[in-house]
Amino acid sequence: MTLGALGFAWRSLRRQPARAALGILGVAAVGALLFDMLLLSNGLVLSMRQMLDRAGFDLRVTASDALPGQGPRLPRGVETAKSLAMLPAVRSAIALRFADATLDQPGGEPLDASLQGIGGTGIRPWTLQSGRDVSGPGEALINESTGRALNVQPGGTLRLHPTCAGASSLPAVTLRVVGIATFPFDGLSSATVVTSMESLSLACGSNDVDDADMIMVASNDATGSEVASDAIRAAVPDLRVMTNEQLVGRFEGGGFSYFRQISTVLTTVTLAFAVLLITVLLTVSVNQRLGDIAALRALGFTRGRVVSDVLCESGLIVGIGGVVSLPLGFLLAAGLDAILKRIPGVPTDVHFFVFEGRALALHVVLLTGTALAAALYPVWLVARLPIAATLRNEVVG
Amino acid sequence: MPAGPVTAVHDVSLTIAPGDHTAIRGPSGCGKSTLLHMLGCVDTPSSGTLLFSGRDVSTLSDRDRSLLRLRQIGFVFQRFFLLPMLTAAENIELPQAEAGVSKVERRARTRELLEYVGLAARADHRPSELSGGEMQRVAIARALANRPRLLLADEPTGELDGATGDQIATLLDRVSADGTAIAIVTHDASLAERCRRVLTMRDGRVESEITR
Repeated sequence: MTLGALGFAWRSLRRQPARAALGILGVAAVGALLFDMLLLSNGLVLSMRQMLDRAGFDLRVTASDALPGQGPRLPRGVETAKSLAMLPAVRSAIALRFADATLDQPGGEPLDASLQGIGGTGIRPWTLQSGRDVSGPGEALINESTGRALNVQPGGTLRLHPTCAGASSLPAVTLRVVGIATFPFDGLSSATVVTSMESLSLACGSNDVDDADMIMVASNDATGSEVASDAIRAAVPDLRVMTNEQLVGRFEGGGFSYFRQISTVLTTVTLAFAVLLITVLLTVSVNQRLGDIAALRALGFTRGRVVSDVLCESGLIVGIGGVVSLPLGFLLAAGLDAILKRIPGVPTDVHFFVFEGRALALHVVLLTGTALAAALYPVWLVARLPIAATLRNEVVG
Repeated sequence: MPAGPVTAVHDVSLTIAPGDHTAIRGPSGCGKSTLLHMLGCVDTPSSGTLLFSGRDVSTLSDRDRSLLRLRQIGFVFQRFFLLPMLTAAENIELPQAEAGVSKVERRARTRELLEYVGLAARADHRPSELSGGEMQRVAIARALANRPRLLLADEPTGELDGATGDQIATLLDRVSADGTAIAIVTHDASLAERCRRVLTMRDGRVESEITR
C-alpha cells in the first residue's frame, strides 16, 4: 500500500472499521435515494416516449392544440384518415374516437371501461392475443382484464352502457367479442373495449359516424416523421399535427413536471443529509487525530498534504458508498415503481424510474460535490491547525 | 475577559552548531517547549530573528518551512505520535516518502535505521504492539529518516520508566556522536547531564548556561 494521501486515507478508514462502515452505509442509503430521484426526474417522460414509439405511430392529428381526446372533434375524421393514408410519406393512418362506458358484469358491480371507436385500415396500436381484429359494426375487441372480469372469450358477447358527451340516458348496447388484445396504454386492471366507428356512433346516439377525436399516423420509415408531418400540414392545413416528441413535451410541461419538482426537492434534502453525515464523521475523525496531524506537520508534511488526506478520506467514503448505492438504488427503484404502477389508470408499460446515462453521470457529479462539500469544515480545521499549540495541548491533555 | 498576550520566550540568543548536544531545562511554563518549537520552525517569534543555515526562517512561506522541517529537522515527541495504522517500518518510511525518496532507497534506509535503534525484528509491528521504549526508538528512527542536521526532542523520556529512559538517552548520545546536532527539552536531570551544554530557563529567559 502506498504512503500517499489515498493510501493513508484507506488505512485510516480500515483502522476504524465501524466508523468507516457507518459512513459508507449512510452514503449508500442516501446515494440510493439520490439515484432514484434522478431516475424519477426524467423517468416518466422517457418511459412515455418509449411507450408512444412502441405503439407504432409517430404522429397525431387533431382539430386543435389541445391534447388528443381533450379538444373538439375532427369532422369527417375517418375520411381524412383514409386520404392521409394515401400520402407517400405516410405508411398508415387510423381515426379514433373515445367515450366512456360501463360494462354489465354477471353477478357483480358494473365495470368502468374505456370505449374506443376505430376507423380506417392499416396497422393498429394494439397487439392481438387471440381471435381477430374488429372489421365491422357490432364487433368488439377487448383487453385481457376485461375478458377475465366478464368471463368472456372471442365469440361471446358483452353488454355496455355508453357515456358520451352531450348525450344522456343512452340505451345499453350488445357487442360480439371477436378478439382479445394488449393495449399499450392499459393499466393493471383497466377495461378497454374497441369497436367500429359506426358502432360507437350508434351507441352514443349520434349521426356523426365519421367524426373522430384523433387520427394516429405512422410515417413512412424511409422519409421519417418530419416529412410526413409537413405533408399532412400541406394536405389539411386546418388541422394540428403533433409528433411523439411534441406530445411528450406537452406532458413534460404539464403534469409530469410535478415529478421533476418533487425529485429536485428530495434530491436537495438527500444531498444535505449526505453532507451533514460525512461532515460529522470526518470532523470527529479529524478531532481524534489532531495530535497526529500536528506531529505530521512538525515532521514536515505540508498543509496541502494533510488537507489531501482529509479530502481522500471523504472521497473514499463517498466513492465506496456511491458504488454500493447503485445496486441498492436499482432495487429500491424497482420496488417504488411497482407501488406507483398500482395507481388506477397508470399504464402497465409505463415506468416512473428509468435508467439513462445522464442520470448516472449526474449522480457521480453530485456525489463528488457532496464529498468536497462535506470535507470543507474538516479541511478548514486541518489547514488552520496551530502546530505548536496542538502539540502542547496534547501533552498537557 | 479575554486573556492578554503572554511572552513565553524573551531575549534569548542561542546558536546551535553541527554536532551540538544541548539540553534545555527549567520549570513548567518557563518557555522551553516554545523555544524548541521556534528552533523547529513550527512557531514563529513575534520579534527577533531565527536563522537556519544562514536563512531567515521568517521570510519562508509555510510550504518552504514545512520542506525545511522535512529535510533538515527531526522531531521526537514525548507522546511518540507514531501513526497507529502504520507498522514501525512504514512510520519510518513515511517522511522519506513525503520527501520523494525512491521506494528502494527508503526501504534500505528504513532497514538501516531499524538496525541502528535495535528494532530490526519489530519492523512489521504496529505501534500498539510495541512497548513505550520501542515506540520512542521508532520515533527517533523516523526523526532521522531524512538525515536531518538538527534533531529536536521534547521530553523524549517523559513517558518512560527510568531504565527505558536510559536506553533512549544512550541512543540520543549515539545520534549526537554520529554528527547530528541535538536539542532536548527535558525535566530529566540524568538526561540533561549527558548533554555537553545545558541551558536553564526561567520566566522565558535563559537563566544559566553550562558547557562541559
